[in-house]
Parts: sequence; C-alpha cells; structure tokens
Amino acid sequence: MKDNYYRLGCDIGGTFTDFVLLNDHTGEITTGKCLTTPVDPSDAVEEGIRALEVTSPDFVEKLDELIHGTTLVINSIIERKGARTGLITTKGFRDVLEIGREIRYAPYDVFAEFPEPLIPRRYRIEVDERVRSDGTVIKALDPQDAQHAVRALLNMGIESIAVCLLNSFENPAHELMLLEVIEKEAPAVSVSISYHVLPQIKEYERTSTTVTNAYVKPLTGRYLSKLAGRLESIGFKGKLFIMLSSGGVTSVETAARFPVRIIESGPTAAVIAGQYYGKHFNIPEMFCFDMGGTTAKSCLIQKGVAGVVPTFEVGRVQRFMKGSGLTIQVPVVDLMEIGAGGGSIAKVSKLGTLQVGPESSGAAPGPICYGRGGTNPCVTDADLLLGYLDENYFLGGTMKLDKEGARQGIEEKIAKPLGVSFIQAVWGIHDLINETMAAAAKTHIAEKGGNPKIVTISAFGGAGPVHAYGLAKKLGAPRMLIPPNAGVGSAMGFFTAPRAFDLLRSHKVSLTDVAFTEVEDIFRNLEGDAGKILQKEAADDAIRYERSLDMRFVGQGAEINVSVPDGDFTKLARADIRRLFDNVYEKLYGRTYPDSEVEFINFKVRASLPERLLKLPRVKKKTGQSLNDAIKGQRPAYSPIAKAFIPYTVYDRYKLFPGARFQGPAIIEEKESTLIVGEDAGISVDDFGFLWIDLKEVK
Amino acid sequence: MGRTFDPITLEILWRRLISIVDEADSSVARTAFSSLLRDAHDYTCMFTDRLGRELAQGSFATPGQSGAMALGIKNLVNKYPIDHYQPGDVFITNDPWALAGHLNDVCVMSPIFYKDQLAAFTACVFHHSDIGGRVASDNHDVFEEGLFIPFVKLYDKGVLNESVLDMIRWNVRTRDEVIGDIRSQIAANHVCADKVRQMLEESGLDNLDDLADQIISLTEKSMREEIAKIPDGVYRAEGKIEQMKGKEDIVIRAKVEIKGSDIIVDLDGTSGQVDWGGNVVFNFTFAYVFMAVKSMFAPDIPNNDGCARPIQLFAPEGTVVNCKFPAAVAARMGVGHFLTEVIYRALSDVLPNRVIAGSGGTPAAMNVFYGKRKDGKPWHSVIIRGGGMGAGAANDGNYVYIFPANGANTPVEIFENDTPLIVEKRELLADSGGIGRMKGGLGKRELFRIPDDEYAPIPPVNLGIQAGRFLYPAEGLFDGKSGTKAQFLVNGTPGNSYGLTQLKPGDRVIIDAPGGGGYGNPLEREPEMVARDVIEGYISIESARNDYSVAIDPNTFEINVEETNKLRKIG
Repeated sequence: MKDNYYRLGCDIGGTFTDFVLLNDHTGEITTGKCLTTPVDPSDAVEEGIRALEVTSPDFVEKLDELIHGTTLVINSIIERKGARTGLITTKGFRDVLEIGREIRYAPYDVFAEFPEPLIPRRYRIEVDERVRSDGTVIKALDPQDAQHAVRALLNMGIESIAVCLLNSFENPAHELMLLEVIEKEAPAVSVSISYHVLPQIKEYERTSTTVTNAYVKPLTGRYLSKLAGRLESIGFKGKLFIMLSSGGVTSVETAARFPVRIIESGPTAAVIAGQYYGKHFNIPEMFCFDMGGTTAKSCLIQKGVAGVVPTFEVGRVQRFMKGSGLTIQVPVVDLMEIGAGGGSIAKVSKLGTLQVGPESSGAAPGPICYGRGGTNPCVTDADLLLGYLDENYFLGGTMKLDKEGARQGIEEKIAKPLGVSFIQAVWGIHDLINETMAAAAKTHIAEKGGNPKIVTISAFGGAGPVHAYGLAKKLGAPRMLIPPNAGVGSAMGFFTAPRAFDLLRSHKVSLTDVAFTEVEDIFRNLEGDAGKILQKEAADDAIRYERSLDMRFVGQGAEINVSVPDGDFTKLARADIRRLFDNVYEKLYGRTYPDSEVEFINFKVRASLPERLLKLPRVKKKTGQSLNDAIKGQRPAYSPIAKAFIPYTVYDRYKLFPGARFQGPAIIEEKESTLIVGEDAGISVDDFGFLWIDLKEVK
Repeated sequence: MGRTFDPITLEILWRRLISIVDEADSSVARTAFSSLLRDAHDYTCMFTDRLGRELAQGSFATPGQSGAMALGIKNLVNKYPIDHYQPGDVFITNDPWALAGHLNDVCVMSPIFYKDQLAAFTACVFHHSDIGGRVASDNHDVFEEGLFIPFVKLYDKGVLNESVLDMIRWNVRTRDEVIGDIRSQIAANHVCADKVRQMLEESGLDNLDDLADQIISLTEKSMREEIAKIPDGVYRAEGKIEQMKGKEDIVIRAKVEIKGSDIIVDLDGTSGQVDWGGNVVFNFTFAYVFMAVKSMFAPDIPNNDGCARPIQLFAPEGTVVNCKFPAAVAARMGVGHFLTEVIYRALSDVLPNRVIAGSGGTPAAMNVFYGKRKDGKPWHSVIIRGGGMGAGAANDGNYVYIFPANGANTPVEIFENDTPLIVEKRELLADSGGIGRMKGGLGKRELFRIPDDEYAPIPPVNLGIQAGRFLYPAEGLFDGKSGTKAQFLVNGTPGNSYGLTQLKPGDRVIIDAPGGGGYGNPLEREPEMVARDVIEGYISIESARNDYSVAIDPNTFEINVEETNKLRKIG
C-alpha cells in the first residue's frame, strides 16, 4: 500500500478558502474553512492545513496530491490588476481588440457602456505580414520588422506580450518567428502567442483570448511558484495540481503557461463533483445547482458528463448582461451563472412589481438579518421569515440572525409599497428568485437537448438546498439528491476531476472535399502536443485521446460537436461521419437535412489520464439509532401547498443514518446549509449518507 | 372584468413570457444558416396575445424589425376573421407594407391554440441574405427588388405547402441558405408555441387575456408617467438626407407635441416618396420613432404593446416616410434610421441628458459582395456596419456601432473564408469623431483588395452598397461639431455609393464609416481627456491644438498648461 495516501482539495474563493481532506485508505473525509487572504493566498492555505493537522496529524508528509482552484485569475481581470501588456498584430488590424463584434448588447440603452480593452491602443503594434485564409503567405514577415516591433514594446516598459496575427491558425510561421525574437530579445518578458493559446478562427475572439492570457500570465506564474514554495517549506512533497475551467486538472507548469484556462477554476469543482455523483449513482440527467451568496451556478450533466462550451465572457460591465464582457475562447464547463443568491436584493421595480436580484448585498453588509448594517431586504431575510432558516443555527449557530429587523425591512420596503400582505411579500421574494432560476434553467436544459421533467437536481452551496425544492417544483423535476456537506461539498470535485487537457485547431473544409489523410495528420499533431503536456504530469499512466469535430451545414452559423471513433481516421467512410453528424443534429434540433452538405470547422482532441477513483465512504447505522434521535423538534414554516405556515419537522443531518425514510414537511439542518422539503415529498438516506428526495408528480 | 394578478404573481408570469421568447430567440442562433442571422443577429422573435397585442420580444431584437413587427402583426391579426386561423397553420409573408419594410425581411407567423381556443400568436422576422431581384438601392419599384410573398399559408392545418417553398427556392440566389433559414424560423415558432402552452398549463390559465391586459396597462402607465414629467409643448426639428447625384435632398420634418402623457409626432412637410429604394413604409417609420421615445423615457422596461400606446404618429401617405405600393423600399434604412435622430434633436432642449448627437451608424451600412471564384464556384457575402455613435451629455460616443438599429460585424477571417477577397485594413479612423465637450465616436476604415494573382476571381466582383452620410455628416449637439463623412473609394476615386459596382482583379476598395457628432463646446473638454486621446491616437496632436485649444508636447505628450490657458484665453 502506498505511503502517500492523503489527497487535499482546496478552493480559494473570494471570501472563504474551503478544504477537503481525503484519506484514500479509509475513505474518510475531513472538511475545513478559513478566510481567504487576498494579499498572499498561500497564507490561508497554510492556515487551513495547520487546522486540519489538529485532527489528522502529519498528513502533510503523506499527501500525494494537492489539487486546488482559485478565483485569483478572474479577480485580477475584473479588478484590472494584470501586467502591463503589449500586443503585436497584423498590419491594419491593431484595433480588432477594441472594435470587437460591434453589437450593442442593450439595444434601447444608448448610454450602455462597453468594457475597456485590456491593452490600450498605444501598446498595440503592427507588423507588416499577411497570411491568406488557406495558410499561404501573401507578405512574409521580415525578421528585422519583428525585432523592431518587439523592441518598441520593450521600450514602453511592457511586462507581457501577446501575439495574434490574422489567419495564424492555418499557418503559425510568423507568430513562431515573433516568439523566437521575443525570447531572444527579452527572455524575462512573458509571451503568449495565439497559435499556442487557441488556434481558432475569428480574429477578435482569438485576440481577446490571447491578450487575456498575456495579461494574467506574469501574476499567475508568481502566485503558483510562491504557493509551491510555501507548500514545500511546510513539508509537502506531493504533486500540485490546479483545476482548469474545462473540468480537468493540470500541472502548475501548464497553468502558468495558459492561465486563461483556469479563469473559472473555482466554480468548476462543483460540476465535477456532480459529474462524479451522476456516474456513481448512474443518473442519466442531473441538474447540478450551486447557490451561494451572490450567484447561482448550474449545469446539466448528462450520463455523468457535463457539457463543455468553447467560449464565455468575463468582467461584464453590466452584471449578467450577455455581450457586456470580454470574450474568452477556451473550453469551459457549460456553467450557467445568474445573479441569484442569498444576498440578492428585493425591491419594488419602476413598474410597481417585485424585483429580486441581480444586485446583491454581498457578504458585507449582507442581508438585514446578518445585523451588519444591511438595510435592503434580501432572499436570506425571506428564507428566515418563512421559517426555512433557524436564527439560532445559522452556520451551525456561529452567527445569530436578526429576525425582527428582517421582518420590518420587508414590511416597510416591499409589502407596504406593493400593497400586498406581509406573507405574500415574503413568499414572493423566495418564489420569484426560484422563478428566475427556473427560467434560466429551462433555457439551459433545452439548449443541451435535455428534459427538465426527468432531471435529478443536485444541490450545493449555502443557499442551494434551501431553494432546491422550489426549483424542482417549478421545473417539474421528480427527484433531488443532496450530498453530505452540501455547503462545502463542491470541493469534492477536486478529487474526481480527470487529469485532462483539450486542444483544438480550426480548419474549414467540407466533408465532400476533405482528404482523410489530412484529418488524420491534424489529429495526430494535436495528440502529440496534448500528450507532451500530460506526460509531464505522470509518465507512468497511459494517456487516452478522444477526438471530436466541430461540424455544421455548409454556411451555417453554429457548429455542433461530434465525437469520432478512436483510431485511424482514414479507415472511416464519409458516410459514417455524415451519420454521426446527423444523429447529433437531430437530437439537438429535432430534425436533420440529409441533402444539405456539411463541413468541418474545428478539430479537437482531449487527452486524459485515467481517473483516480474516489471511494465514497459508506456510513453505518449505529446500533439502536432511531429516527427520533435525529429529530430536533418542530417549527412552523411556510408551505406553498397549504399556503400557510404549517409545522415542519426539523432533523439533524449528522444524526441521520442509512436506510432512514421519512416524509415531508421537513427541514434538515447541517452546519453550512439547510434543506427544505415540502409535505408532498419523501426523503430517504442511502448507504453513503446522501439524501434522496422524491417529489410527487407536479401538476 | 377578469382576474387580477397581484404584483408578485404578475412579475413571475411576465418573466416567464419573456424567457419563452428568449428561448425561441436563442434557438435561432444555433439553427440559422446565414451569417447575417448567426453572426449579426439580424432577426426578431416575439409573441402576441390573441388580439395581436405584443406581449414580449427577444432581448436582442433589432429595434426596426421589432417595432415594425409589433404594429404589423397586430394589423394582420385584425385583418382576418378569427376562423382564418386554425391549429397547425403557419403563415409566411415578406410584404414590406404589412411588416418590416423590405423584401429581405421575411415573417413566419403561427397561431397558438390552447384547449382548442386561439390563445396567442408567435412570429419571427429574419433578414434573409437574398430574396432575388436586383441587389441595389437604385431600383425604381419593388418589383425589381425581388420576390414578393403575400400573406399565405406555408402549413395548412399542419400540412406543408411544398409549392410555396419551391416558389421561394427558385427565386433566390442562395437557396440552401434561404430555405434553411425559413426552417429555422418555423422551429423558433415551434419552441415559442410549445412553451406558451406549457406556461398556460402550469399556471392554470385558460388564456392570456387578463394577463395581457395587466402587463400592457402597467407598461403604458409607466411610460406615461415618464412622458408627463416633461413640459407640454410643441418641439420641432428637421433632418436633411442626401440622395444620389442629381436628386434633391430628402427632408424629414418632425413636429413633436407633448400633451400631458401623450406624445404626438407629426411628419407633415416631409419630402415625397422617391424613385429609388430609400422609401419607408409606415410601420418602419413608426419603429424608429418608437426607438427614440422608448430609449429616452424607459430604456429598461420590457417591450410590449403598452410601450407604444402613448405615441401617436402622423405620416402623410405618399411621403418618403409612408410610401405607397409599389415604391422601391430595399434601402429603407437609409432614410428610416434618421427618424430617431430627428426626434432626439426635437426634444434635445427639454431632455438634454437623454439624447445623443447624430451617429455615424445612422443609417446602418450594408455591403453585398458576390461573384465567382476562379473555378467558377459562386460566392456571396453580406456585411453590415455602423460608425461612431453620437456623444451624450456625460459620455463620449462609443466606437463603431450600428445605431439606432443593431447588429454585429463579420469577422475578417470568416469573410476571407467565404470570399476570395483580402481585407487589408479594419481600423479606427483618428480624428473622425465630432469634436465637443464630449467627443463623437470614431468611424472606421476598411480596405478590400480583389486578388490579381493565382487567387483572382472571375470578373466581375459585384459590390452593392447601401449606406449614407457621404455628403452630410452626423451632426453635433449644443456646440458640438459633426463627425467625418462616409467615403467609398475604388482605386482612390469616389465610386457609386448607390448602385451596383463591378470590380475587377487588382482593384482596391476603401469604405470609411462615418464618425459620430460631438456634444457641447469643445473648449470645455477636460485637457486630460484631450491628452489621453492624443496618447492613444484617437485624435492628432494638431486636432488637440486647433479644435480643443489644448497644447500637448509632441515628445512627452504632456499638457503645456501655460500655452493651453493662453489658447483657451483663461486667466
């Protein structure tokens, strides 16, 4: 048996750093939490580790891996704290970054603001070169020109350089020449070229992605080496990994090269945990729902696999307004994030109706009931007044809530101005935020070709289990699954994430015209590159490659991703590929058009190492343990079915045991979150301590 | 009197209606074929109650289409007796007078039935990349402009009428694209209808009537409250729009009367209809008057029938803003987009903080390129583009947007893939924004080259241009100055900006998008903002000195305070 049998997952969030320690021998899991230390995040990491040592002495030396996620990169973009970055681009195109795609995201708002580019115009330099769309060279880049451009940027005090040339995804020769020049002229300066960051068609999206990578590269590098040094100093000898936005984990070396790929590293963990539960319990469609203080993030997981999308936005100028952020084109787990959390503020809209979110009171001052000076009624205030939260058992009783303050706030600011009863107002806040989430969920599920009527909802986060029942009712979902430690349980995802890396290349060619030998070459090259990245992490394991194609009807706008079988592409027939495309298209859009020609846009490879299995620990029923022991008492809480307060039975989650079954109305409390179940649903506890809630069919 | 919804239930159901359209809307981005739809989002989805009153539209809707559609669908619904609509019916039309003002905008509309009763209508208008005809602004009547599809059934009680599709298929250049996009329209309506029925079922409603009444009246009330805040009075403005060589300018005259909470717009005195494609149908005129009113008074409330109710529009028939069949209408945006700016100007004295100066993206410019590759394969690409937006009281004009319409550009790498042409430049034009306390948005330059090497296409390469501001730039407001004009140059000399231009290998075409107008006195612009513009190259050091009276050291880019004070005659 291995000596190093511990694994530590660590999620460095904006407010808290969460820890989950796994003992691979026993399957035992220990959790911890401490405040994030923004100046040097490794302070909190050390502090958390020290705290865990109290219960698991000397585990640090026995750590095999430390896997972590961080919001550092995304925050440095939002707060504009990245490096002084310069761009080298094709003559005639230095404004691509600023012109963007030209669409006004709020058509009737003439004053809508747009995000400032990460690189001001004076740091964007052109070189006289040009490559055609088929990769042939129109104007060769003169090495002297390349040198001038680089020196000009260095003279301006640039710390990081992005290179993005037109059509470089078809022929990177000029970008590679610039890379060489930069490395020679200024070995200390960080450099990112678009061909390495993401060789994909559409110049704005590629430039924006490359520039973002360059912008955060120096600080990510510094952060990671500092963290590694710190860990070493306290005796850590294992491997350090970091979560990618795409749901894989990678080495710190790769993360330092492509920091743009770890932007969503934190929120992704919950999805990966959900993905694992989906596989473990064999749930065909699971809707993973993580609701915290300011936002709710969710994701549909089909057959244990979450969708990965090729693009997302960061740093939106107008919260949650699509189109108001910077476009980043790297694979990212298809997370839908909306402004709905415990801290979402309720107010009377201009039209005289109720509005909840997307503005949030955040952690400070927070909802009124926190008693930290907040005066705006929030979702958590409503949850408290509905009886769903216990003012004496919030965060396990470490924080007393002010019920009277919340009551007054909602009465004065919502009920009176709207002219509705107090209870209508309180329930309205809870119900409306559920409605907002349900509307977004329905669209998200529909886009993935899923069906909300069959999904199992898996809830995480402080507010997730409080709202999951309401959400399930609105979606018509028949079942919910609540893992143990749901409040911090997302960090479990770190243990189940595969070590994987995605690469792609754009090359537009029709299925009729393409030479399959050319396709095989592209795939082999991609596999070679991806393999090199993974081999650094674990030379001993066998790397698995999954190939896929982004395909579409000739001339169509969006592509669909089609998996292609392993092995030599030239052995496949055109008709096979066509059939694979038609199957996927039909599943998504109801029908396909066999007479219309199809084309390839992107060639993709995911390289991965075998997943390390996580053995979920089984919980044993103690002798003599009965359900009565778990009952803390009863308290009145609001029932949307009875439209009145009715007595809910309150359970202590830590005292529930496998095989326990009971009927709602129930409130199940654990330290970091509370689960609400209505009277029309039944609850059972499985061998792993997971709660399964079966809802009656919704009318 | 029907059921009354409390404000919370109302909000919940209302949101659900909007999310239904957004779902239909997002299905289009995934199923549509043409780049105009998928990249430029030139389409609008909406649905109405059974009386044809608009209830919700897609959040990214193009203002011209959505405003014109709202009126058009209501008219169509009321034109026929109720039994004209049967379950499974799908209608199609591109009648410019009935809907969105030119033949390329094709509408697919379906009744929605619930419990055997007509409950609602769903409709979408897509700007199709081709509709046959002669692709140019200088056609003389609508017959030259392409295929005219009257209001006909595409599906009759669920049965497809293949003949209609065939008729379309054989009249357009890009048949696969057009038919594919019509299928995408049918699918979008399908999504909408399904979700409306589901929503009725889940909320236990038999129909949308009571909900519609309440949503519409609440919206109307909110609009009226805002309008009532400004003093009653009659406000006037004029807009002058250039025409092609040898033709008189078009003049739009607007009298805007605020009377309590009503806003009455009278366009009497506007030029008569013209013998080229710049004519605007009433619906489209209404759409851009509506855009102005909505954006000034309530940009953030969701669009529905109630928003439009306080507006009364008079546009004499036979004028360029209410043209008669069979006027040519293909380039209607060349005139129609100006309506927003004219209304802004009329109300600028009473609402100085809610208006912006003239925009370079008015009108939206459209270029249609087509021809044959060297191997004879046909290609076709449509590009739309804006210019610098006008400045406002507290903001510089944004750079390069279509306004008051909306739409995205086509990436150069996509364009070069779809065509044999080379784009040599796509860049901001320094000094193109109108000067002012707040600076107008910059225009941009695009340079296209027709290859003459082994990649040369078979001549000619056809280029149809619909654009404006070649003679009259976007005007400033309150002492702000105009932005720069548009330019269309073929090998350095001005080309025909209205008709179809035939290009040959080796030709180079420059298309400059105009800058936006400035706002306020340029001498009041903060010298630091002027210096920043110089440092970034948005304005030249000469413009800083001559236009803004700010002296900047050409070596250090620092402001010479003493000299600036002297130039500005301070102290």
